[in-house]
Amino acid sequence: MPKRSWQRRGKAAMDLIEFFSNHVFRMVFFGTTVIGIVSGALGAFAYLRKQSLISDVIGHAALPGALLAFLMAVVVFGINGRNMLLLIVGAVVTGTLAALFANAVAARTKIAIDTAMAISLTTFFGLGMLLLRMIANNPYPGKGGIQDYLFGNAASITRADLTTSVAVGALALTLMIVFWKEFTLRTFDPVLSTMLGFRARVIDTLMFSTIVIAIVIGVKAVGFVLMVAFVVTPPAAARQWTNTLPGMVALSAVFGGIGSGLGAYLSISLGNVPTGPVIVLVLFSIFLMSLLASPKRSIVVTALRRVRARKALRRELMAEGRNP
Amino acid sequence: MSYVIGVILLAVITSLACALPGVFVVLRKNSMIVDGISHAVLPGIIVGFALTQDLNSPILILGAALAGLLVVLGNEWLSDTGLLAGDAPQGLIFPALFAAGIILVSMDLQHAHIDTNAVLVGDLNLAVFPALIVNGVNIGPEYLYVMLAVLAVNAAFIAVFYTRLKLTTFDRQFANVLGMRTRLLNTAFMFLVSMTVVAAFKAVGAILVISLLVVPAATAQLISKRLSVMMALTAVFAVAGALAGFWIAYVLNTGTSAAMAVFYGAMFVTVALTAKIATHIRRNRRSSKSTAAAISAPNVGAVAGE
Repeated sequence: MPKRSWQRRGKAAMDLIEFFSNHVFRMVFFGTTVIGIVSGALGAFAYLRKQSLISDVIGHAALPGALLAFLMAVVVFGINGRNMLLLIVGAVVTGTLAALFANAVAARTKIAIDTAMAISLTTFFGLGMLLLRMIANNPYPGKGGIQDYLFGNAASITRADLTTSVAVGALALTLMIVFWKEFTLRTFDPVLSTMLGFRARVIDTLMFSTIVIAIVIGVKAVGFVLMVAFVVTPPAAARQWTNTLPGMVALSAVFGGIGSGLGAYLSISLGNVPTGPVIVLVLFSIFLMSLLASPKRSIVVTALRRVRARKALRRELMAEGRNP
Repeated sequence: MSYVIGVILLAVITSLACALPGVFVVLRKNSMIVDGISHAVLPGIIVGFALTQDLNSPILILGAALAGLLVVLGNEWLSDTGLLAGDAPQGLIFPALFAAGIILVSMDLQHAHIDTNAVLVGDLNLAVFPALIVNGVNIGPEYLYVMLAVLAVNAAFIAVFYTRLKLTTFDRQFANVLGMRTRLLNTAFMFLVSMTVVAAFKAVGAILVISLLVVPAATAQLISKRLSVMMALTAVFAVAGALAGFWIAYVLNTGTSAAMAVFYGAMFVTVALTAKIATHIRRNRRSSKSTAAAISAPNVGAVAGE
């Protein structure tokens, strides 16, 4: 397999018909695209809450949850430990716990939020590493390739996984649409939101849970460690193009979806290159282009505007100098 | 030197080398930048290893530390553009570098057989090989001396720039007014942190190294009010955690670094809860005492309460 892909590298990329007629490729493409859309849309709220990095904490902290779910499934229920739904539930539980822990430490002690996040991240991840070692040392059925939870293995996405991802992702998006007004108010004016009688804790927990779901559905394809890029990068790119919340959420979802689809296609047609990292690089390129050249506020446009303004000013001053 | 003593010494020295700069990392609110650095040094380590074929090489350590510095400077640049909100600038560059690192690993560059899992977790029990042998005498693991050198550099830097670090940490604007080159000092300090992360990754892994850097200092911060006290407590917590982590890993037969990270986390929670309860009790006692004093001698109480 690697040999063939090396040969292919010289040729033009695989044509689309060949790509979509292959079942595995199709699964990878649609699986990652769904992940990109959901995490892009929900990442927009994390970005506007100015807590993008919480997604990094959640991503790392989801590992012990997923592994505990595996152990529960194998030891207690005696079913397949790689069950996607069980994995999602376990990861959501520890991911949410880690986010709540970080926020509680920052609120109740003199430790700053960034240190609190680092403590939460590394402690939960350490726990995950202990569990991983424990699983590796014992003969559990179906444990082969369980370290894929770290970096993902897009080729292992099955039709059942895709269905679960779409269903759970749709649930998170539905929650977002149903609570759109509450989320918006809490994001932009937390004081008013509390004064109007909305419970801050309930809305926060709901909002972070949807973000956790967005991160967790990416585990099989992308792995926990890189999911932070799926949540942080698309909204940061989208922000450069739009000034409205609906525009931001929609564009962020589009960037996430396109970046993931394109990344998946590139990784397969290049051959022997892991999918998750390629998607991250594609998303980063989209972000850089937005930062440099979006029409309203980007670096290049601002610089051009400044040059033009300077010229206009000079012209004006010269004109004044000629006829005082 | 026996194997077990080698591992224990390595754990203690590594934890001290990380915890010392960790004090300033925590106080300067740079903890999540360290998270970024620890991910971003991966491509640096892989390229460095492909070139030097030696994980203990100083060239590799300095080269990979530059990759970490790239994150620090990149973050600063992104923040300075003013186009991004919140902590997003810190979350954009390191995943891209980390992704590039994983792609490099998968391409098996120059046959650099690095297991991504090992890069993330590290293995203290393997890091003690090879041993350094001088005149036929085994004087402990070669890697121990690498970490000792890092510890010495860190201690020297902090000793020399102690006043400046203190001032820029607690009152950056005042330091600026005094004409201190705060940005240069910050860059130099972050390079040092980056170098420490690279040097320690072989023993504790790229992600768990955050634990060694941040958690002992944060635990010390909970119960100290002076920088000197905080530094001393940090060292105590770091060494205690290293020894306990080693013992737990030995008993449970798991990785030392992961056990250390979990123990550090538990230690932080315990100290935080104890400190909370202690303040609560003290406050209760004080309020009941002052009420009692006010009842028995109201005039004296009023003066004392001032």
